[in-house]
Amino acid sequence: MNSAWFYVIARVALTLGLAALGGWIFGGIGWWLAAVGGGYLAYHLINLYRLNRWLRNRALVEPPNVGGIWGEVIAQIVRLDRRKRFHKRRFIRVFRELRRSAAAMPDGVIMLTAAREIQWFNRTARRLLELKPKLDIGLRIDNLIRVPEFLRYLEEGKFESSVVVPVHAEGGTMLSLQIVPYGEGGQFLFARDVTRQAQVEAMRRDFVANASHELRTPLTVIMGYLDTLAEDPGLDDAWQAPLAEMRRQAERMNSILGDLLELSRLEAAGSTAGDEPVDVGGLLSLLRKEALAAAARPREIVLKLESDAQLRGTASELESAFANLIQNAVRYTPDNGRIEIRWWIDAAGGHVAVSDNGIGIAPEHLPRITERFYRVDPGRSRATGGSGLGLSIVRHALQRHGAELQIVSEEGKGSTFTCQFPPERVLAKPQRAAG
Amino acid sequence: METADLSHHISRRFNEDLESVRARVLAMGGFVEDQLQKAVTALVEANSVLGQEVVVGDRKVNDMEVAIDEECSRILATRSPAAGDLRVIVAIIKTITDLERIGDEADKIGAIAARLAGMERPADKYREVKHLGRQVEQMLHDALDAFARMDAKAALRVAREDRTVDEEYDAIQRQCITFMMEDPRQIRRALDVMWVVRALERIGDHAKNLCEYVIYMVHGKDVRHTHIDDIEREISARGS
Repeated sequence: MNSAWFYVIARVALTLGLAALGGWIFGGIGWWLAAVGGGYLAYHLINLYRLNRWLRNRALVEPPNVGGIWGEVIAQIVRLDRRKRFHKRRFIRVFRELRRSAAAMPDGVIMLTAAREIQWFNRTARRLLELKPKLDIGLRIDNLIRVPEFLRYLEEGKFESSVVVPVHAEGGTMLSLQIVPYGEGGQFLFARDVTRQAQVEAMRRDFVANASHELRTPLTVIMGYLDTLAEDPGLDDAWQAPLAEMRRQAERMNSILGDLLELSRLEAAGSTAGDEPVDVGGLLSLLRKEALAAAARPREIVLKLESDAQLRGTASELESAFANLIQNAVRYTPDNGRIEIRWWIDAAGGHVAVSDNGIGIAPEHLPRITERFYRVDPGRSRATGGSGLGLSIVRHALQRHGAELQIVSEEGKGSTFTCQFPPERVLAKPQRAAG
Repeated sequence: METADLSHHISRRFNEDLESVRARVLAMGGFVEDQLQKAVTALVEANSVLGQEVVVGDRKVNDMEVAIDEECSRILATRSPAAGDLRVIVAIIKTITDLERIGDEADKIGAIAARLAGMERPADKYREVKHLGRQVEQMLHDALDAFARMDAKAALRVAREDRTVDEEYDAIQRQCITFMMEDPRQIRRALDVMWVVRALERIGDHAKNLCEYVIYMVHGKDVRHTHIDDIEREISARGS
């Protein structure tokens, strides 16, 4: 117990003692005690009033100069105030440092609340997204960036990846945007200008597409003449075999060009496929018939349609993807082998699987097999045909449908390629195609 | 709902329902912006696939209009909003109608683009149309931004741009007529181009309507059918 209280108690005791003495000497001890008690109460009430008045205007006036226990209380309050101010200054300093470092970042940074309202943004973000300081604080970011691809990105919530969106400005600025959640519900939005990269990509794609187109024309001429020569009755027999080989090779070149053009088109087409209903069963039946008509094929090609559900997407791209998988199976399975094509749906979505018991793929090749022109066995592939682009086309087409390609294979035993379509792409009730 | 200050923007905290409807309107706006951009690109780049995408996408615009309309009816029925909130709902209902019409015009442009893609491109490669198209796109974008920010001053500025759009529209029309007179073989394509620029001019008008709704929302003043200078005088008089 500290000294202030000791003095209070001492003072009360002394005052009451004196009052009692006065009462004993002059009589009417009750009146004496009441007077002293009243005086003491008045003293404390006055100090309480001064304390209250000071508390209300703390910033403006000095604390009242009171001794004793009231002085103690006032001193404690002053101490509390000082500590609070100190912590506040420190917090502001740290916060300013944080904002300065974020402002210095070359990327645009926007701080968002859990409801995606803008709390703060740095200068780069202001420039890239044409934000207005002060005016835009509190606005939802998806009210200002309305590009459908960005809204879809926000909805899907797959924030490990970023999304590239065109922003509205002459010159076609492309921004890479990424959401990074932090703390309890807060989110950061990072924005980077990727216009140059996008332009370089576009130039590369255009180059490939143009080159392929240009090469096709002379190739068509050559193929035309080769056909004519082959049908010439007066042609020397010795030329038949070489001519056939030339025609085969020209065909191969043509198919490579076709695949290159297809791949270019898929890459340029953007991130999502269309929305028309695709009859998977019908498509797979057709492809199976085509495979059965091929010159060299395994004996058994079986079709298992376990659902009459359809897919939502672009028919031509899905046909391309499935055709490539089936052609690969035909190519790499011996004549006495078996291919199974299966379509089924479950809780995880829709699945198209092409399995064969052909030569299989060694595990070290699996991660790279969908790369353009990647060959497991260059010698064999060239002999059996194929452009080396088939699986790239499959992967791109599937990506545009939000689907994934799963490959399971054992060398010498066979392979299974499965296309996993997400549930939102599956149409459980078969619908007639529009139009 | 308070009007925090009479400056050209209003800070306010809508309740969740209103805020969510506003967000849906802006999402619809973003989609329509995308449609317009695709349609003009399809024409300029002779991309028939893109043009077709726009035509198919218009269904989604109509669906969005219906859905938001239902939501607004629900809010009107269950919450009986008053004053400023009511203005917002009314403005939203009108806004989505104009957005849907813009979608229709973009659909028309996309269809014509798909058809023209097969034909030979004219000498100037639709440069004038592209310029008008980008201008109108910018108008629409700015109008929607003004809606998002409840910025009446910005809305006013965008509304003024419609005059420029109308002038350019007239210029291109005259140009097309000249082409048609010079070479009758060009008539088919010139007519198609005229349809396209007409659609663009209409979109500009709809964007101006959007601006008028923003001004109505913010200031409670119906400025439709009012000359643009009078609108400005009105708003300035209110101390913005």
